[in-house]
Amino acid sequence: MSLIFELLQQTAVIIVVAYLFSKSPAMDYLSGARLQPRQMLVLYVVFSLFSILGTYTGLPIQGAIANTRAIGAVLAGLIGGPILGVAVGITAGLHRFSLGGFTAFSCGISTTVEGLIGGLVFFFLVQRKKPEQLFLPSVAFLTTLVAEILQMSIILLLARPFGDAVALVKVIALPMICANSIGAALFMSMVRDQRRMRDKVGARFSAKAFTVADRTLGILSRGFSPETAREMAEVIRQETGVGAVAITDRERILAFSGIGSDHHCTGNPVVSRWSKQALAENKVVFADGYTDHFQCPLSSGCPLRSALVVPLRLDQEVIGTISLYEPKTKLFLNINRSFGEGLATLYSHQLLRSRYEEQKSLLIQSELKLLQAQVNPHFLFNSLNTIMAIVRKDANRARQLLMQLSNFFRTNLKPQSDIVTLEEELNHISAYLEIEKARFGERLTVNHEIDPALLDLRIPVFTLQPLIENAIKHGIADLLERGQIWIRVYCQEKLIVIEVEDNAGNYCESLNSQGLGIRLVDRRIKNVYGSEYGLTIDCEPQQKTLVQVKLPLVKGVANDSCANY
Amino acid sequence: MIRALIIDDEQHAREELEHLVHETGAFELLGSCANAIDALRRIRIEKPELLFLDIEMPVLNGFELLAMIEDELMPHVVFVTAYDEHALKAFEEKTLDYLLKPVSAERLMKTVNKVRETIRSGKLPQYQVESLRCIPCQFANRVKLIHIIDVEHIFSDLTGIHVVTSEGQFFTELTLKILEERTPLLRCQRQHLVNADKIDEIRLLDNGLAEIKTYLGHLLPVSRRYLRQLKVHLVL
Repeated sequence: MSLIFELLQQTAVIIVVAYLFSKSPAMDYLSGARLQPRQMLVLYVVFSLFSILGTYTGLPIQGAIANTRAIGAVLAGLIGGPILGVAVGITAGLHRFSLGGFTAFSCGISTTVEGLIGGLVFFFLVQRKKPEQLFLPSVAFLTTLVAEILQMSIILLLARPFGDAVALVKVIALPMICANSIGAALFMSMVRDQRRMRDKVGARFSAKAFTVADRTLGILSRGFSPETAREMAEVIRQETGVGAVAITDRERILAFSGIGSDHHCTGNPVVSRWSKQALAENKVVFADGYTDHFQCPLSSGCPLRSALVVPLRLDQEVIGTISLYEPKTKLFLNINRSFGEGLATLYSHQLLRSRYEEQKSLLIQSELKLLQAQVNPHFLFNSLNTIMAIVRKDANRARQLLMQLSNFFRTNLKPQSDIVTLEEELNHISAYLEIEKARFGERLTVNHEIDPALLDLRIPVFTLQPLIENAIKHGIADLLERGQIWIRVYCQEKLIVIEVEDNAGNYCESLNSQGLGIRLVDRRIKNVYGSEYGLTIDCEPQQKTLVQVKLPLVKGVANDSCANY
Repeated sequence: MIRALIIDDEQHAREELEHLVHETGAFELLGSCANAIDALRRIRIEKPELLFLDIEMPVLNGFELLAMIEDELMPHVVFVTAYDEHALKAFEEKTLDYLLKPVSAERLMKTVNKVRETIRSGKLPQYQVESLRCIPCQFANRVKLIHIIDVEHIFSDLTGIHVVTSEGQFFTELTLKILEERTPLLRCQRQHLVNADKIDEIRLLDNGLAEIKTYLGHLLPVSRRYLRQLKVHLVL
């Protein structure tokens, strides 16, 4: 009985070792993920030493050693798999063999077998896709129990003389089986607690990173400027509760908020080596205040002692940093490295997205420019030619037409805004149509069928113009007999339909092979309202071409006439 | 005086050019036409020396009109266009001149000088005309364009030239000579052209004559003179 207590006493040593182990970097390896060869090597050394320690702290009994060697081998197998288990088992077994005694050989063998058993349990649970169970203390307990029973059997089988072996097993079997199993279970429970703790802390920090990011991303999406930086710094300080927050671009401090703002001034160059390192190496730099002290390069009296510098990346390029500082009076930091890395990733995504948005809107703007530049030179010169002819006959009419031409170009060269009312768009094309009617004379008739309740409808500028231009250029201008154009705007179920129809039916191309102007109208409508809206073309050769633009029916517009829908 | 014809689909443009041309005092204006079909008819009747020809016109453009004029009737051509989209400089060698709308009186005088010089030198207009893409046919009140690939055969009789397709028979102003020269259609007899792709069989008759049966079942005569050519072309 006393043997049990003595062995349990030894397990106290094991627990201390386990505790130290759980604090060591090797602990990071036990995340349940597949181990790298280097990590395997570290674990091999640790568990082999641990197992050998079990032999040394053992009690010599009847020419053998009652010990806790099994724990190291079984745990190595459980944590690292059969190979690690057997490797640790062989190492500790050889060591035991070298110490001699009549059980030297059998103990050497059995330790190897114990490592293998741990490994087999690992293999079994991983195969069953339940690797989490490897860290259950009960699994460690049962595995070690079986392993120790097997060890006793091996001693009985191999150790000679057999009589001595039986006598020895009688004394040591129960204490060793109990002590090793309990020891392994305790070790595992300690590892598991440590893991949980880390997970919890990690989760808390990543939750915080999300909250901070959530509140600041909106600000960042407006661009990275001193103004947005100031807002962000405030929000980050509030959310994290750190002593101070600084935001810099590559050269200067854009904003500083919190403790030390008396000497950390906006506009100052970036000088601290931590910030410079983050900028240069594109990585999170953390001065935790224990192993690495943040030292303010500006003032020796600066109370800030810890710093977390998060690089702001845009496409692999660092465009600035966010630094979080804690004063030396703070015992528990609100920052850690993984928090910083979380923030860095979230921000780099946001920066990339806002650059994408920016480029997209630039594209839309340049497309609009293109639409304006699309003004057909044929139209301009033919108009001038028409007006020159009319000048000879009717100077007043010519003046009117020049006025229409100048109105048309004024809007076309510089639209007031991207969105206009239907009425404004109709005015714009009516200037165009007046000139074309003068040009084509009785060859062109235009019919308007516009729901007056829809005149306030807001549409992207130049939605109608390319449609009308197409109807004239490819329709009327290519027709020997009289041409007719209908412009209609009406409600239909949940839609507003803007349509232009001609009686030529000369241009039956699919949307994709239409001119740039028409395709841009479709693209812009889909961009603004969604892909279910946009432009459709219906053509009967030599009969008609009908181009329809469908928009969503917005509340507040056209209450009267569209109330039925 | 140079006998000239103006062809432009826009009324104001015609009037303006008529006015300018008149003011130069160098031309006898034969009239102005609003489209290529009308123009073709007038060219045959009036045989002008010079065309002021707009390029952008409905149904048939200026280039296509040129492709329908017989070589011996071909006048000198001055293109008139609003915008130099066709890179007219490239045509400068082949056409006499080109004018951009609106046309200035000064620029027109340069053209007048150029035209006088050319006519005095006796140089005949030789334009590299494109081959015909389609054949304009009168059809009710419309002008129907028949693509060459749709044509089965073409024949002439006392009433004129008729284009036969699977849809029926259409009257055209173009001559058999132009149609033979500017399309891939083959002459099989003095009064007949045939689309080789529509030939079902060729029956050889006595005395060196033959008969073509088309897919639509029409029988076309083949004369001795054209049978040889037909055989060469069809690799018989």
